[in-house]
Amino acid sequence: MKGQVGQFEDQDKPSFEGLSFVTMAAHEMKSPLALIRQLSLMLESGSVDEEERERMLRQITLTSERALRLTTNLSRSARLEDSLFELEPLNPQQICEEAAHELNPLFKARGREIRVALRHRSMLVVANRDLLRRIVLNFGDNALHYADSDLPVELQTSSWDRGSKVRIGVRDYGPALKPDIWRKLRTGLGAGTQTLHARPQSSGLGLYVAGQFADAMQGQVGATRHKDGATFYVDLMASTQLKLL
Amino acid sequence: MTKMPHVLIVEDDEWLAEQYVRTFKGGNMSAEYVHNALAAMDVIELRLPDVLVLDLLLVGPNAFTLLHELQSHVDLAAIPVILCTNSADQLADEDLKMYGVVQVLDKASITPDDLVAAVRRVLL
Repeated sequence: MKGQVGQFEDQDKPSFEGLSFVTMAAHEMKSPLALIRQLSLMLESGSVDEEERERMLRQITLTSERALRLTTNLSRSARLEDSLFELEPLNPQQICEEAAHELNPLFKARGREIRVALRHRSMLVVANRDLLRRIVLNFGDNALHYADSDLPVELQTSSWDRGSKVRIGVRDYGPALKPDIWRKLRTGLGAGTQTLHARPQSSGLGLYVAGQFADAMQGQVGATRHKDGATFYVDLMASTQLKLL
Repeated sequence: MTKMPHVLIVEDDEWLAEQYVRTFKGGNMSAEYVHNALAAMDVIELRLPDVLVLDLLLVGPNAFTLLHELQSHVDLAAIPVILCTNSADQLADEDLKMYGVVQVLDKASITPDDLVAAVRRVLL
């Protein structure tokens, strides 16, 4: 994979500069709630035709689902230390297919496409199904809102480090990250303002949570900068189960 | 017949931008939207809006980049700007006046009527 790579090390994780986790979470929830409210107020006024009404209702549903994914991730993240997560050999390609299927209605409604890159050789990763699914969904959400291109967002799996690790990445196409934004990305998952992918309206909290989920599976999240977009990925231990067959 | 005021919306959430367009059209104004500051400059070159409704945090260059650019041209500096943001509580109106910002609206609490009223006030 060509590009500039940034891994988010433990020491790089955000402190949110004194802001509480709750404050950051509240800020993150504002955008979807503000949109839902505006759409609802317009529907209440009754000044839209039937076709527009249907479209707005669909937007409310999809925006609510996105917000709920975030709240569920946050509550899951808060309980991470108290929980034991079962790690099992999983097919990452299948997880990507499931995530793409779940995100497809949202992408379609936004006039975008999400797809899974074909891979002929099977591999297994040691992971928790729910946490890995949430990481991929999170990266997918991120790509939808911050990529700026008609090209599809692609979920990719690859083997690396001589087969000892598996990388599951979400590649988006859009404006290149500016060097200063990239530096910020590499030195912390956004302490408060413009962060990943020059992300507006975002504290980087979603990606911070993805990092926590990866930690719980002894994995690591990171990003690769391309000329025309970015890949956000999680690296996890490969399962050797297939090699024993 | 009086000319219909034209509003340019700079908002990176497409669905929210569409909602603003609906709102302004319902208030007998013409409106169009773009997603980022660079596209805004392109559109402004083609047609000067009567009012600019601007989100603060955008993909790529943020609102202040656009405001600086506008302020560096005499004709563009005169475009009144309404900042519509989720971070309204963190901004001081006084500091923004030098950027041509005439009002700051809180996305989380405005109603569609507030938005139309804000633009009408600016145009008075």
